[in-house]
Amino acid sequence: MRQPSFDWTQGPAIPVVSVLFALVLGGLFVWISGHDPIQAYAALFRGAFGSPYDVSETLVIAVPLLLAGLSVAVAFRAGLFNIGAQGQLLVGAVAAGWVGALWPDLPGILLLPLTLAAGVLGGAAYGGIAGWLKAARGVNEVITTIMQNYTIVFVMHWLLQNGPMQAPNAFGTPASAPIGAGAILPIVLPDFLVPSSRLHAGIVLALLATLGFWFLLWRTSLGYELRAVGLGMRAAAQAGIDPRKRMVIVMAIAGGFAGLAGMIQVSGLFHRVYDGFSAGFGFDAIAVALLGKNTPVGVLLSALLFAAFSRGGTLMQSDAEISSHLVEIVEALVLFVIAAETVVRAVARRWGRPVKAAS
Amino acid sequence: MDTPIVEMARISKRFGDLQALAEVDLTVHKGDIHALVGENGAGKTTLMNILYGLYRPDAGTIRVRGTEAHIAGPRDAIALGIGMIHQHFMLVPPLTVAENVVLGDERGGPVLDTRGIEARVAELEKRFGIQAEPRAKIEDVPLGIQQRVEILKVLYRGSEILIFDEPTAVLTPQEVDDLFHIVRTLRDEGKTVILITHKLREVMAVSDHVTVLREGRNAAHLVTKETDPRAIAVAMVGRELRDIRVRPGNVGPAVLEITSLSAESDRGGLALKGVDVEVHAGEVVGIAGVGGNGQSELAQCILGLRKVTGGVIKVGGSDVAHDDPRRTRQRGVAYVPEDRRAEGLVLPFTLADNFILGRQDQPPYARRGILQGRVIRREGERLAKEFDVRPPDPDVEVGTLSGGNQQKVVLGREISESPRLIVANQPTRGLDIAATEYVHERLLEQRSRGCAILLISSELDEILDLSDRIAVMFEGRIVAVLPAAEATEERLGLLMAGHVEGVPA
Amino acid sequence: MEVLIGAGVLAATIRLATPVALAALGGVVTERSGVVNIALEGCMLVGAFFGVFAADKTGSLPAALAVAILAGLALAAMHAVAAITFRADQIVSGMALNILALGLTSYLDYQLYSSTGTPPTIPLVPNVHLGFLEKVPVLGGAVGDQSAIVWVTLAIVVFLQLFLFRTVPGLRLRSVGEHPRAADTLGIDVRRTRYWAVLASGALAALGGVYLSLSVAGSFSDNMTNGKGFIGLAAMIFGRWTPLGALGAALVFGYGDALSVSLQGVEVAGFVFPVQLLSTIPYLLTILAVAGFVGRSRMPAADGQPYESEGH
Repeated sequence: MRQPSFDWTQGPAIPVVSVLFALVLGGLFVWISGHDPIQAYAALFRGAFGSPYDVSETLVIAVPLLLAGLSVAVAFRAGLFNIGAQGQLLVGAVAAGWVGALWPDLPGILLLPLTLAAGVLGGAAYGGIAGWLKAARGVNEVITTIMQNYTIVFVMHWLLQNGPMQAPNAFGTPASAPIGAGAILPIVLPDFLVPSSRLHAGIVLALLATLGFWFLLWRTSLGYELRAVGLGMRAAAQAGIDPRKRMVIVMAIAGGFAGLAGMIQVSGLFHRVYDGFSAGFGFDAIAVALLGKNTPVGVLLSALLFAAFSRGGTLMQSDAEISSHLVEIVEALVLFVIAAETVVRAVARRWGRPVKAAS
Repeated sequence: MDTPIVEMARISKRFGDLQALAEVDLTVHKGDIHALVGENGAGKTTLMNILYGLYRPDAGTIRVRGTEAHIAGPRDAIALGIGMIHQHFMLVPPLTVAENVVLGDERGGPVLDTRGIEARVAELEKRFGIQAEPRAKIEDVPLGIQQRVEILKVLYRGSEILIFDEPTAVLTPQEVDDLFHIVRTLRDEGKTVILITHKLREVMAVSDHVTVLREGRNAAHLVTKETDPRAIAVAMVGRELRDIRVRPGNVGPAVLEITSLSAESDRGGLALKGVDVEVHAGEVVGIAGVGGNGQSELAQCILGLRKVTGGVIKVGGSDVAHDDPRRTRQRGVAYVPEDRRAEGLVLPFTLADNFILGRQDQPPYARRGILQGRVIRREGERLAKEFDVRPPDPDVEVGTLSGGNQQKVVLGREISESPRLIVANQPTRGLDIAATEYVHERLLEQRSRGCAILLISSELDEILDLSDRIAVMFEGRIVAVLPAAEATEERLGLLMAGHVEGVPA
Repeated sequence: MEVLIGAGVLAATIRLATPVALAALGGVVTERSGVVNIALEGCMLVGAFFGVFAADKTGSLPAALAVAILAGLALAAMHAVAAITFRADQIVSGMALNILALGLTSYLDYQLYSSTGTPPTIPLVPNVHLGFLEKVPVLGGAVGDQSAIVWVTLAIVVFLQLFLFRTVPGLRLRSVGEHPRAADTLGIDVRRTRYWAVLASGALAALGGVYLSLSVAGSFSDNMTNGKGFIGLAAMIFGRWTPLGALGAALVFGYGDALSVSLQGVEVAGFVFPVQLLSTIPYLLTILAVAGFVGRSRMPAADGQPYESEGH
């Protein structure tokens, strides 16, 4: 039977309601644990947008979130659940960090593209493995990608602690050697605008990737095929679109987006790979993609929102002494409400029009 | 006159914008076999689902044995002695026959008394003359036996009123005879039977009374002995029927040649065990057979959707047995799949996007991998008009169209490239009469154009109406090929049940 | 040889297999009823934290166990409401609850114990000393001194195996996971059955979590389950959705994990295998196991599919 459609519940209403609902519940939680929720959220907001510097820091976090979000979203469009953006990001970072430090004296015109390619291809290969296992062996990509996330963490421990990428580091964390100057993405905000901003040219790459995501899915034959496989696998198969090939391709593309995120973290921010690098972006990315309804603009906006949460959460912890993990709780609640979207729909239906007396 | 055992009065039911039932009456007497007939969508099943408590009516009253009944769920229906034998069997495949019969009413303690259960089921089988091995797993027994399990389930719960929903759809003519034998035994044992069907022959063969529904309303109430099939048909359709049995056409060279084709089923095991069949240009070859005898696997092999383990499939002289669907289609093979919603269409896509499915990377729809949106939309609009899809809007989501219009989209897409072979699997399943006629006309049009058509259908009428030659499939083999003129329902029925002519079964 | 099949490795195998087995058993129960619950990881984590929390607050072990299991039940109940009543996407809901569990336990850990770490004086689950096995080589060392929860787990395996395949409620549970509509038409309450199954899975996983914190570690640390709930789901698949199979699979994973510990520093022909790479064994083993087995075992037919009863 056809679902009755309620126009205002389409569009942005459901994401917005989900976020508000999660914020209220999160506030309740802060209140129960003996703090002032208003103060907490005020600290959170100040942390994210309080000064031009804070805004630029929020954007620094938004860049990898956006790319990891696109990674999850593109897989979703083909009907696959990529929980592995985290692992793919790390592989991309390792590959970029390795190539970037391999020939540190190469000029930027050569080294930057090489580093970029290494990051993207590294992530793509890691994602492609999950796609291939699904296509060839029927292994659920959820299991594979979760296991891959754990695997790369331990591989990085080895690489950086006593493996080939081990290098002396001023901070005492196991880390790789710094990448060559040519592989570094320049800072885009000049000092006279925002002093000591860390916002780098990765934001340009991320925006280009968002555009590419849209173009790929809605303007190319491959994108059509990916969406067809996601929405009607058997129909696609009988029409000559082999779903198994598309699974491998889309997981490689997803891995490529995440690998780009990892490369940007190396080239734009840290200029080396270190242990415990960029943890958690991959999981946030699931919320980013779902809240953004797997659309380019939606993913962009929700990446900004979660970046603000993340940046604000850190300051909230130091200013209001409330654990930044509150942000995770809010994020989980957002995701949970989106999962149970029918709840919101049901509520919306009640408000949207009078319920008939007899049913 | 005695009190009717079931009396449904002025029953109405609406689903969204669709008025499924409008003030329908139904009166059934004890010890009767009462046929409830009508076209697809006439409301037969909805009415019975209301009696069984699966739906609640918007208005109207139900009396059972003279007392008003409020049936809120199957549990209430069962308590009133009403049982339903569903069209799609409600059996749990990995469980045994006996476990399926008693499920939900196992009796005894929390520990499963497997022996006691099997004994009780065997006892029940004896009483009603029904044969089924209690210990066999459902997934291992044929459909005819599965239906008996459904009947046993209902009898086990002490039902006095048995509703059969389209019980013969998946049975061979011989299995149908066995079923009717059981149904008569039930009546003789004092049970009341309500038989939902749209097959007039069955109505005439087994029923005592007939209630005809049309478009959710009462169309007629008849006593079987006092009526004839034509009267029932007119009541069902509301007009006289057209007769479209085909005249012989101009048959050209062989387009599809299949020799000793074998392939496995999804569960392992052989689905096709050496199939030989030929289809010529300008010819319709009908594949008759009870569902599940390898017809769908045959279609999938031709398309390249299923791995061929042996044999040759030639299209226009070249072997396509190991080609993928893309390459097969490039040789001019079109496919109307069995399940249009899952296999034929991408339901959330628009009309225009569905028309280019499979051609999304070819000019003029795409150039160098880039979709040509304007061309796609214009072409969608044109095809929608040409194939009379309503509404003819290229941007409409296909999932929101009616079944008939969805099939027009599939057919339009497949025919528009002038294929040389069409493989049509159950092309009219679930369609109303008008849409069925439309599909038939279009297929015959392609035949006159010189296209070869392989028509798979479990509706004997459809096979007989459209085919030049009829191949009968049984257990993964073509057991006979007859010219349409020599095919009769009786002969086909025997062949479909595996009685190979000249060889005693 | 000692590093491969010695008493130490076997004891470690059992110790490491137990939480995986409990999560896998939870998976068997819920998926047999037709609900996928990947929030088992989160159920474990809240079980681990709230066990320590209640042990600290009450000083009573039974209370700690009860609170841990209640926490697992609460998280599972959220999944049940989303998945069964609101027919939400079960994977998304499960992921949300995993993140919630991680955020919540880390948040509370920070607020309550950040400066001190979890207290060292909490009551722990005692081990069962089998004195009569002391003299038996290998076996004595392997099973002679294991946590009480290990033995409880074994009992649960036997109970669930009998329950699922030899009792009336077990038959009904399986029928709901295979063909919910058929069960519904026979008057079996699909939703209620699924609710119970999901809740049971949460309780089992929480028991696995509390085993980690109150038996193995004696404390709580952030994200201490580290994927054991997910590996449990793989063990469930590998064990073909049966309790006995799940136990066997969990032991295989436990062995892989134990090897990664016992092989540390071991030199073979002058080559020391890097410790960190050994730690990847259980995760790679999981992928391999699922890749090898998923095609050959049959999952419950209605697994992961929301059920909507007809009508209204």
